[in-house]
Amino acid sequence: MVEDKNQNVELTDHEAELYDRQIRLWGLESQKRQVQLRAAKILIIGLNGYGAEIAKNIILAGVKAVTFLDHRNVTVEDWCSQFLAPKESLGKNRAEASVPRAQNLNSMVDVKADTSNIDDKPDTYFSEFNVVCATQCTIMQIKRINEACRKHNVKFFAGDVWGLLGYTFADLMTHEYAEDVVQTKKIQISDSGEPMQKEKFENIVVTEKHIETFVPFKSILNVTKSSLPKDSEIYYMILIMFNYREKYGKDPLPSERESEKLKAEADIIIKKYDLEDKIDHLIESDLYAQISPVCAIVGGIMGQEIIKAVSQKGTPHNNLFTFNPDTLCGKILRLGH
Amino acid sequence: MAANINGVFTENLRNAILQSKVLIVGAGGIGCEILKNLVMTGFVNIEIIDLDTIDVSNLNRQFLFQKKHVGKSKADVARETALTFNPDAKIVHYHDSITTSDYGVSFFKKFTLVMNALDNRAARNHVNRMCLAADVPLIESGTAGYEGQVELIKKGLSQCYECTPKAAQKTFPGCTIRNTPSEPIHCIVWAKHLFNQLFGEEDPDQDVSPDTADPEAADSAGQGALNSESNEKGNVDRTSTRGWAQSCNYDSEKLFTKLFHDDIKYLLSMDNLWKKRRPPIPLSWKELPDGVPGCSKEVNEPGLKDQQRWSISKCGTVFAESVKSLSNNLKALQEKSPNNHLVWDKDDQSSMDFVAACANIRAYIFAMAGNIIPAIATTNAIVAGLVVLHAFRILENNLKACKSVYLRSKMNHRNQLLVPEKNVNPPNPKCYVCAPTPQAVLAIDTSKTTIKELDEVVLKNRLNMIAPDVMIDGTGNVVISSEEGETEDNNNKFLEELGIKDGTILKVDDFHQNYSLTVTIVYRERSSLKGDSPDFVILAKEQDLKPKEEDLVKPSTSNGQVEISDDNVMIVETETSSDVAKKRKIEASEENLSKKRKLEINDVDDDISIIENDINNDMDKNTEEKNDDCLIVHDDNKSIVATSQ
Ligand SMILES: [Zn+2]
Repeated sequence: MVEDKNQNVELTDHEAELYDRQIRLWGLESQKRQVQLRAAKILIIGLNGYGAEIAKNIILAGVKAVTFLDHRNVTVEDWCSQFLAPKESLGKNRAEASVPRAQNLNSMVDVKADTSNIDDKPDTYFSEFNVVCATQCTIMQIKRINEACRKHNVKFFAGDVWGLLGYTFADLMTHEYAEDVVQTKKIQISDSGEPMQKEKFENIVVTEKHIETFVPFKSILNVTKSSLPKDSEIYYMILIMFNYREKYGKDPLPSERESEKLKAEADIIIKKYDLEDKIDHLIESDLYAQISPVCAIVGGIMGQEIIKAVSQKGTPHNNLFTFNPDTLCGKILRLGH
Repeated sequence: MAANINGVFTENLRNAILQSKVLIVGAGGIGCEILKNLVMTGFVNIEIIDLDTIDVSNLNRQFLFQKKHVGKSKADVARETALTFNPDAKIVHYHDSITTSDYGVSFFKKFTLVMNALDNRAARNHVNRMCLAADVPLIESGTAGYEGQVELIKKGLSQCYECTPKAAQKTFPGCTIRNTPSEPIHCIVWAKHLFNQLFGEEDPDQDVSPDTADPEAADSAGQGALNSESNEKGNVDRTSTRGWAQSCNYDSEKLFTKLFHDDIKYLLSMDNLWKKRRPPIPLSWKELPDGVPGCSKEVNEPGLKDQQRWSISKCGTVFAESVKSLSNNLKALQEKSPNNHLVWDKDDQSSMDFVAACANIRAYIFAMAGNIIPAIATTNAIVAGLVVLHAFRILENNLKACKSVYLRSKMNHRNQLLVPEKNVNPPNPKCYVCAPTPQAVLAIDTSKTTIKELDEVVLKNRLNMIAPDVMIDGTGNVVISSEEGETEDNNNKFLEELGIKDGTILKVDDFHQNYSLTVTIVYRERSSLKGDSPDFVILAKEQDLKPKEEDLVKPSTSNGQVEISDDNVMIVETETSSDVAKKRKIEASEENLSKKRKLEINDVDDDISIIENDINNDMDKNTEEKNDDCLIVHDDNKSIVATSQ
């Protein structure tokens, strides 16, 4: 963000020269970023409805290659939002079933499926990619993939959608990026001898370079209540849903709506963070399967963050974006720093 | 499909989804995304309407379409593709304009709710009125670059689309466009003027050559620029741009050299302009800054075109190609009739390429970094998601929960990226559309304006009526009738001749839109200098008109600069820049206290646009819309818009 955003600075000749160079540089920079986007290889782990949205967005944007990694098969729940897998592919491998429609989105992108289980992949596997994006993984799996990505200097994202709520997480390690900033400059025309002094304001775009430091996924788990902003309901919900997944190896099904198992996990977090009844309405809400419009929203955010990361353009979300389906608020939490 | 699986939704919502009947207006970027969300969710009865056919440039974000569909109806192909997602959906498509009389109030009444996914204000205004008339909830949405918004429009409960003044199409002083562009939009306006000069309808107000009558340059009288070459209007005397281009047979190198080298050199000779500004740098056709490796823009690479920024040498190539193609088209047309000319069309690839290339080159010459980039696919996806979540709330009969939501390009000070309003915005009681008895004041030169101008320019073009009837209150004289032939004789008469003068009250009625408006006429002299001030002004109340009359000294190019004023907003076009600056500052500070954040998405024009975060705070925003095809984005806040002199 611009620091002196309300200031109108007079543009001196020296500055004009300086900006000129930066502007010219910007031209080169933008070309460099395009090339980076076109060269990017992305791994998407977990081709559920959310994964399908992420895939659509980055394939449309035109990266070099996208690999779908998923050992699971298409389920009835996928029919709620997984538009890349045809309805009749029920029971077939989800990654493979998604390739033809994904490829139709952009013939220039190399789209592949890998039906292996992520747990069978060695750490070196991740070094083949510029970005790894993991969905529907357990905490253990995310920690391990995140660690392996850090080792091989690969940008890492994780995200999930449970019913109507969702999140994106980013660990870009040390991330350099460029940002265009508009500054208003005053231009004075004084030597006319006219009684009315004329002033002009013009906007000048300056490219700034920034560095942002990220933390791994493990650092954002179970943070203290005092380090969380006031309305962090979705963060608590994410912990509850993760703990459930960790314990049962899967997410609660629509048929298990209002199950005691989920309530038990919720109670642990409610007690731990002393939440009283603050998140009860969310625990009772639609948390089952993945609802298409929410996959579109959170998948849209994730897609944009991946594009920003590989092109090194624009301020990345550091580090947790949460979507609250009750308030429709989308918020960025900076946790674990 | 979510609504077919037990336990995904509450029974209440599930049944409402299955029983609803919904309409999507527009099958473009947002429309495709909405349709996908609806069929996956399990909506059964869906109707979708769009007039457009699929263009190659749509493929990078309107993801229901593929290369093989180019030229086909968007609504039709969107339906076909969506049915492959959910074969059980019942989708009706219309390849048609929503504004035709086939889609009257009874058509709209069929639906549980209507979702707008449109790209222009005229159609939005129309659907707004139809939904108000049919009393059907409307979900309005729009995107511009990385920003977007979703809002509910429900009669009596919330603001309608026309409750808040939308900035009229901005005009810029000629010398800014011709001599000292400082923002990308100036370059786009220039490029579109150039299109008309070369291929379209020639308009002397759209001159693109250096303006030697620029008062700023005139301060340096005696300088090289002001020589006998210029006439008193400031235009460098020579044959028309069109004539010159024809004489060299639209040779792209010669054209390029004149526009981007010789004219720029000429501007440089007007030294006073560049004392504080960064002088432009003429470009030489033979030495254009090099291209981006591996980034060719080919028709068969839809994905690559999106988010691609052309290098200047690429712009040069595109310029040459589009000039060739457009000049051939023009020639072919003129063989039929010498008076024929091309008409700007955003869906015509060559026209769009030409304007984009020229605007980019000029922006480069004047060192503007706001490059032209296309609409953003992810923004459409996010906004369409929000639209369908609003639809859920309407179906649950929880309309009060349908607060407007804004998608921001960056998080605000509360770390929010998706920002909901606290409440549903209540209707503006003075709205000239949704108020119980809509009223407006029209300030116009009754002695110089014809009935035809009133009909075409004021009522249809500006007030977006389809087929207005106009009657003088009191006498009952019908001066304009929507029935063909009934009032044709009036067309060329001045308003005065039919008794319309200061204080006259007109009853205006659009039967199709089920919309009646009472118009009070105020006499306002039209300036004798063409283009010096708007030809008419429309306001919510008369008082708003008074204080600004003195300031009508600014050049502006088109007529009909209209603002519907509410208490906080004023006519921008007719003020001096310092007034604007002052006013905006006052407004910003006052509004921060009294009004919540507001992001307005307005069209600058249907095809090309800019986005600017207005004013010096992150609460108020003005985003100008809109175009499906290309945009210029200023990501950051800008304090004051300068209108030169
Ligand atoms: Zn209204």
